[in-house]
Amino acid sequence: MTQAQMPYSAEEQIKVDEFLAGATLFLGPDPEIMRNHKSAPRTPLEEELLSQPIDSDALDKVRKRIVAGLDEAYEMMEQTGAAPGAKWGDLTSAVYSAGGDLVHISSGGVLAFASVLHYPVRFINKYWASEPSVGIHDGDAFIHNDARYGNIHCTDQSIIMPVFHEGEIIAWVATVVHEGENGAKEPGGMPSSSESAFDDGLRMPPFKIFERGVLRRDLLTFLQNSVREPKLQYQDLKVKYYAALRIKERVLAVIDEVGRDTFVVSLRKSLEDVEAEARRRVSLVPDGTYRVNLWSDSTLRENLLLKYPCAITIKGEEMTIDWRGAAPQFLNRAFNSTLGTSKCGMNQGILAFLWPDLPRGISVMNSIEILTDPGSCLDPTDDAPLGQSLQGAFKAFAMTQALWSKLTFSCEEKFGAIIAPWFNQINTFLFGGITQHQEFVGNVCADLNGMGGGARAYSDGEHSMAPFFAAMADIGEQEIIEEDVPFMQLISKKIKRDNQAFGKYRGGMGYEMALAAKGTPFWGFATVSSGSKFPPTPGLFGGYGCPTLPLAKIKGVNVFDEMKNTPENWQFDFETLLNEQPIPGARYSTHHMGMALELANEGDIFMMCQGSGGGYGDVLERDPAEVMADIEAGYISGETAREIYFCVFDPETLAVNETATTQARDAERRARLERGRPYPDFIQDWVTEAPPEGIPYYGSWGDDNSMIHAVAWGAAGPIKLVAPMAQMPPIMLPDPKDLAILGLQAEIAALRATGAPSDA
Amino acid sequence: MRRISVDIGGTFTDCFVTWDEEFFQSKALTTHHNLSMGFNHALDQACQRIGKERREVLGGVDSVRYATTLGTNALIERSGPTVGVLVTAGFESTIALSRGRGYGEGMDALAKNDLSSGTRPEPLVPPRLIRSLRERVNYAGEILMDLSVDDVRRQLKALIDAGAEALLVSLTNATENPAHERLVQEIFLSEYPAHQLGAIPMLLSHQLSGRKGEYVRTTSTIIDAYLHATMYHALSDLEQNLRANGYAKPMLVNHNTGGMAQLNSTDALQTIHSGPVAGIAASEHLAGEVEIDKIIATDMGGTSFDIGLVTVGGGKHYDFMPVIDRWLVSIPMIRLVTLGAGGGSIASYNSLHDSVQVGPRSAGSDPGPACYDRGGLHPTVTDADLLLGYLDPSEYAGGQIPLNPARAEFAIEEVFGDHLEMDPIEVALLIKAEVDDQMANGMGKELRIRGYLPEEFTMLAYGGNGPLHCCGIADRLGITKVLAPPYSSVFSALGAGNTNQMHIHERTIAINLFSSATRQLFGDFDLFNGIVEDLESLGTADIVRQGMDPLKVEHRLELDMRYGNQLVTLAVVVDRNRLRSVSDTLAVADLFSQEYARRYGQGSQSPEAGIRISTVRVASFIVGKSIAFGTLAPASELSEPTRRTTRMCRFPGFSKALETSIFDQSALEPSQRVFGPAIVTAESTTYLVEPSWRIETGDRGAVWFFRNDNAGGVR
Repeated sequence: MTQAQMPYSAEEQIKVDEFLAGATLFLGPDPEIMRNHKSAPRTPLEEELLSQPIDSDALDKVRKRIVAGLDEAYEMMEQTGAAPGAKWGDLTSAVYSAGGDLVHISSGGVLAFASVLHYPVRFINKYWASEPSVGIHDGDAFIHNDARYGNIHCTDQSIIMPVFHEGEIIAWVATVVHEGENGAKEPGGMPSSSESAFDDGLRMPPFKIFERGVLRRDLLTFLQNSVREPKLQYQDLKVKYYAALRIKERVLAVIDEVGRDTFVVSLRKSLEDVEAEARRRVSLVPDGTYRVNLWSDSTLRENLLLKYPCAITIKGEEMTIDWRGAAPQFLNRAFNSTLGTSKCGMNQGILAFLWPDLPRGISVMNSIEILTDPGSCLDPTDDAPLGQSLQGAFKAFAMTQALWSKLTFSCEEKFGAIIAPWFNQINTFLFGGITQHQEFVGNVCADLNGMGGGARAYSDGEHSMAPFFAAMADIGEQEIIEEDVPFMQLISKKIKRDNQAFGKYRGGMGYEMALAAKGTPFWGFATVSSGSKFPPTPGLFGGYGCPTLPLAKIKGVNVFDEMKNTPENWQFDFETLLNEQPIPGARYSTHHMGMALELANEGDIFMMCQGSGGGYGDVLERDPAEVMADIEAGYISGETAREIYFCVFDPETLAVNETATTQARDAERRARLERGRPYPDFIQDWVTEAPPEGIPYYGSWGDDNSMIHAVAWGAAGPIKLVAPMAQMPPIMLPDPKDLAILGLQAEIAALRATGAPSDA
Repeated sequence: MRRISVDIGGTFTDCFVTWDEEFFQSKALTTHHNLSMGFNHALDQACQRIGKERREVLGGVDSVRYATTLGTNALIERSGPTVGVLVTAGFESTIALSRGRGYGEGMDALAKNDLSSGTRPEPLVPPRLIRSLRERVNYAGEILMDLSVDDVRRQLKALIDAGAEALLVSLTNATENPAHERLVQEIFLSEYPAHQLGAIPMLLSHQLSGRKGEYVRTTSTIIDAYLHATMYHALSDLEQNLRANGYAKPMLVNHNTGGMAQLNSTDALQTIHSGPVAGIAASEHLAGEVEIDKIIATDMGGTSFDIGLVTVGGGKHYDFMPVIDRWLVSIPMIRLVTLGAGGGSIASYNSLHDSVQVGPRSAGSDPGPACYDRGGLHPTVTDADLLLGYLDPSEYAGGQIPLNPARAEFAIEEVFGDHLEMDPIEVALLIKAEVDDQMANGMGKELRIRGYLPEEFTMLAYGGNGPLHCCGIADRLGITKVLAPPYSSVFSALGAGNTNQMHIHERTIAINLFSSATRQLFGDFDLFNGIVEDLESLGTADIVRQGMDPLKVEHRLELDMRYGNQLVTLAVVVDRNRLRSVSDTLAVADLFSQEYARRYGQGSQSPEAGIRISTVRVASFIVGKSIAFGTLAPASELSEPTRRTTRMCRFPGFSKALETSIFDQSALEPSQRVFGPAIVTAESTTYLVEPSWRIETGDRGAVWFFRNDNAGGVR
C-alpha cells in the first residue's frame, strides 16, 4: 500500500474534511438533493407535535386558508404578469415546509410543478443558510431558473421566499412563471438548436435577489443585461415577488390565528394524508408489470428514432416506473430532460388524469420509485443541453398516460376517466424580433395550448382543448395578440381536416395555423416539436394514434401582396395551399418540426398544425352518424369516411346506406382475419436482432433494456454502437448544415471529375 | 315618489311599490307562459295593501322597472332560434374551440382541473352553421384583403339554406374597421329585404362590443342573437300589459351593467343576470342611505352564496369578460361571485384528511335537506342548523315546512357515524364551522385580491340563510358589523327601483401613455379626446332616444390600463374627461399607480416597463330620483324586547350548550336591542345572534348585527 492510499486517522479525516469543505470550487446541482423526489421524514418537532391529540378539522381549516392565499397569489400573477405564459396559466404558487417539502400549490396552473419545486428550496437550506456571504433573513427572496437545480425547464423563473416566525424559518413560499425569453441561443427561452448547456440561456441556481426586502438592483441589472427582454425580466420579477409577499402575509396571518404548532402539524399531516391516499390508490391497481414503448422521430435538428420505454410495476401500494433502455443523452442536442423534469412529466399524467381530485404535493410521489440509466436522455449529466427538455418530459407524460388507462381499466374505484393519450408535443411557433412598437421580444405563441384531447371509453376526445400540463390554459384572442406582435395568423387555429386519430371514439383534433410577419424590420420564427414522421401520440384499445404533419413554408412571394392584388390565389387552408400550390412563383416546402430561429421576410408563410389526441376502440364500431357529422363539420373528408370508417353514404346528402355500411364493415372484418397471422409466425418474421440498417436508432432494442444501440459520429463519420449506457461514449451529431455542405461539396467534386464547370 | 319595480325570477315574481312615503312588497309565482299574469298577481297584492285599483296605481307611477333572469333560463333551456354565423376565413373554428378552455367555463374547480373528463357544452351554433368570408383586416384596421361580394352572397345563401333563423357577422378586427361587417349587412338587406315576410335579423359584432377579442365578441353576439326573440316577445308582452292597464310611460329594463334603459335601447345580452345585479344596486342604494362606503353584499340561499362589492367613490366593480352559463363573453357586467354553498349544501366525510366537507353538491329544494322529510338522505347545512337548535321545527319558512330533527340526526349518523367518534350534534357543529369558513375564505379572497381589507367592510346579509350564518362568517373575517337589510325578500326588486338610466360604450385602443422604448409621454390629445367625445355622443344619443334631456346627461370616463405587456388591465376611473397637457397625462399615470398599489401592494407598480391604455370606456347616465327610506340606523335609545322562551343551543367554540333566548318577529320592531346568544324567528328567515354579538334594529325592518367589541353606530 502506498502512502497516498493509507487511511486517514480520525483526527486527520476531520482536517481533510475541513480542508475539502473550504476548497469547494463550485456548488453545482447536488445529487443528494436532485435524485430524491420524496418528502423528508418527520422532524423531531413534528414527531413531538404529532404524538399529541390532533384536531383534524382545525388542520383542514389551515389547509383551506393556505390554498385560498395561494389562489389569491395565482390570480394576482395571472392579472399582472407580462409573460405570455402568465397570461395563459403557465404559472403556480406554492407553500413548503421549513425543510423544503412542497405541501400546497394553487388550485390552478401547472400541476407538474408539484414534483420539482422542492429541489431549489432544499439547496438554499443546505448551502446558503450557513454561508456567511449569503445567509437567510426575514425579507429575503431568492430567484432561480436552472432545471439542473430543479425546475421543469430553464424558461420558468421562480421567486422563493422564507417565512420567519419568532426568528425561525417556519415555511417557504414560492411563485413560478413560464417567462419565455431567457437569453438563450434563440429568443423565447426554449432553443431547439441549443448545442451546449451554455446555449440554454440564463442558468440561475437559487440566489438572493431581494435582501431584507430590498431589490438587489446590481443583480437585476446583470439579469436584464443577459436577456433580450430586460423589461420582461424586470416586470415579472416584481410580479412574482409581490405575489409571494401576498402568500407570506396569508401564511403569517394563519400562524397568528392558530399558532405555530397547529400550522406545523397541518403541513406535515397534509403530506402524510396525501401519501397515505396515494398509496391506497396504487394498491387498488392489480399487481403486475405493464409495459409500453414510445419513440420520438427527431432531435429537433434531424430525424432519427429515439426510444422511450416504460415499465410500471405495481406491488401492493408501491409502484416502480422503469425508464431504463431509453435513448442516450446527446451532448449537442436540446431534447435532453433532467431527471427532475422527466419526473414532472410523469407526475402530470398521474395528477391531471389519474387522480385529478388529489391535493398536489411532493408526498404524492412517495410511493413511486423511478429507475433510469444515468446518462440517458431522461437522466442526463449536468453538461447536457436542455433547451427543449420538454421533449423528454412530455414523453414521460405520454408513457405514463398510455399505460394508466390499461392499469386502471378494471379497477372498481376510478378517479379520472379511461382516456386515450392526450396530444403531447409543442406544436406552436416561437418568435423573436422587433415589434411594431419598436420593442425587442422573444417568446412562444399560446397556440401551444390547443392540444387535442384523447378519446374516452364513452365519448370522442375534445378538439384542441388544453395542454395536458395546464388545465384551463388559454389559446388567447388573435386580435389582441396581433396588437402586440408584428405577425398575423392568416389561418387562425382552424381545425385541420383529417387531422384525426381514428377510432370508435375519435381523438380530439388539432388545428392548423399559417403565420406571416408584417411591418417589422427584423423578425424570425422557430419551432420545437417532433412527430412529423412518427406519431407522438398512440391510440388506446385499437384506436389510431395521431396523424403526422410537417412544418411547411411558402416563400419567394409576399402573401400580403397576393391577398391585395390577386386574392383568388390565396387559400385559407393548409391542404389546398400545399397540394395545389396556387401562388405562382412561390417556393413550397415541408420540413420536420424542429426549426431553429429562421428570419422571416414580410409575407413569408410558415404553417404547422396542432396534433390530435389518441383514438379509442375499433374504427368499425364508430357510429356512422358521427362519421357523417364530422364530414358536415368539415373535420374529415369523404375519403376518410369511406376508407377508414368503411361508411357507405350519399356524398351530396350525407345519408348513410346502413345496409351497405354493415356489409362493408363485415367485409373488412373478414379481410382482417385473412391478413392476420398466428403470433409465433408474426414474431418470427418481424423481430430482428438489431434495428434496421437505414435508420439512425437510439435506445434499447427489443426487451433487453441493458444494451443501448446508438450511432455515434467520429472523425470518420457515423459508427454504430451497442453497449450498456454506462459505457456509451458521448453522443454528438454534426450540424445538419455541415452535412449538407459536405454533400454539396461531394457533388461539386463529382461534377468536376466529369469535367463540368465548377459553378454548375 | 310613486314607482313600481319588479324582479321576475325563475320561481317568483317579486314586486316593490313605492307609493308616496310608503313601501309595499309582494310576491307571486312566475308564470312562464305569460309573464304578465304573475306580474299582475304580485302587483294586485301590493295594490290591495295600498287600497287602490291596479289601473290607478299604474296610471300614477313615474316608472315601472324590470329586472329579470329570463334570459339566463332561455339559455339554459336552449330555447333560442337557429343562428347562423359569418366569420373571417381562417377563423372558422374559433367558436368551436372556445379558447381551448371552454370545457371549464362556469364549472367548479374540480371540473376545471379534471382534463380526463372535461367536455365542452353543446354549442349554441354548430359548425355547419358557421361560414367564412374571404377578407382580412389587420389590428390597426387596415384592409389587407377586400371582401368579395360574390362570396358574401354565396355564404349567405348557404346559411339561409341550412335553416338559419337569425344571422350575425363577426369579422376579425371589425372593432377597428367595421366596413366589411357593414358591407355584409348591406348585401344581406339587398338580397333579403327587411320589409318582406320571412325577413330574419342580422347582428353585427362591432355593434355589440367595441372590445377586441374575436372569440368573446362573437360569443356575445351569438348569445344576443339567440336570446333576442325570446326577450323581445316576453318584454313586449309585459309592456303591452302595462299599456292595457293604464300605464302610458315607457317601460324600463334593468341592465347587468347596473344601469337601465327603455326597451328600444336594450340588447338582450344586457338583461342576463340583471336580477341578481339589481340586488347589488339595492346594496349600493342602501350604502348611500346609511352612508357606509364599503359593503360586501352576500345572498345566501338554498344552493348558492352570491357575493358582490360596493365601494363608494371607487367606481363599480365589473367583470369585463364574465361567464354567462358556460360561455365567456365580452360585456361589462357588475361582478358577482357565486360560491357553491347554501342551506342545501351536502355535508360529507373527507376520508383524505379525516374531516368534514361541505358541498359542492347540493340537495336543492327537492328533495331538500334530510330534515324536510321529503326523501332527502344526505345531511345538509340546514340539518346541522336544526340539530344545533337554531331552527324551530314548527316555524321554519313561516311554518310551511315542518322539520324533522330525527331525520337530520339519522342522516348525519349514516354518513359520519363510522368515521368520526362524535355524536351528531358535535358533527353538526363541524358542519356549521366548515360552511362558515368556506364562505369567509371566498369572501376574503374576493376582497383581498382587489386590495381591500375585509375588516373594513360592512357585510350585507340577505337571502334565506344570510341572517342565520352571518355572525359566523363575519367573525372569521374580522368584520364587526352586518346589516340584514330591509325588504330582503324582494331585494332585487328594490334594487331595480333604484338604478339610473345608464349606457356604457367602450373602444379598444392602443395608447402608450408612456413608452418605455422611446421614453416619450403621450401627447396626441386630439386623438384621445376625439375617442372620448365619440363615446360620450353614443351614450348621450342612447339616453336622448328615450326622451331625456341631453343637458342632464353625465359621463364617467374609465380607462383600462396596464404596465408593459400585461394582458389583464385595471379599470381606472379618471377624474377628468379630457386630456389637454402633459400634466393631465401624468395625472392619469398617477391615478393608475395609486389604484395598482392599493390592489397589489405599494412598490409593485412597474411604470418603467411602459404604461398603456387598452380600452376607453364611457358610462353615460342621468341621476334619477331614488327611493328614500329615512332612518335605517338604530336609534341612540334602544329597548330590549321580552324573550318568548329559551332553548339550549350549541355554538362553535363552546364545549357545552348555551341557554339561548328565543324571540319572535316583534323583536325586530325599530329601536330594539338583543344580545346573543339569541334567535329571532321571523316569517322568511331566522336571525341567529351568536355569543359575542348583538342586534340593534332600525326602521323598516333593518337589522344590524354588531360584534360586542364594536361600540355600535352605523358608520
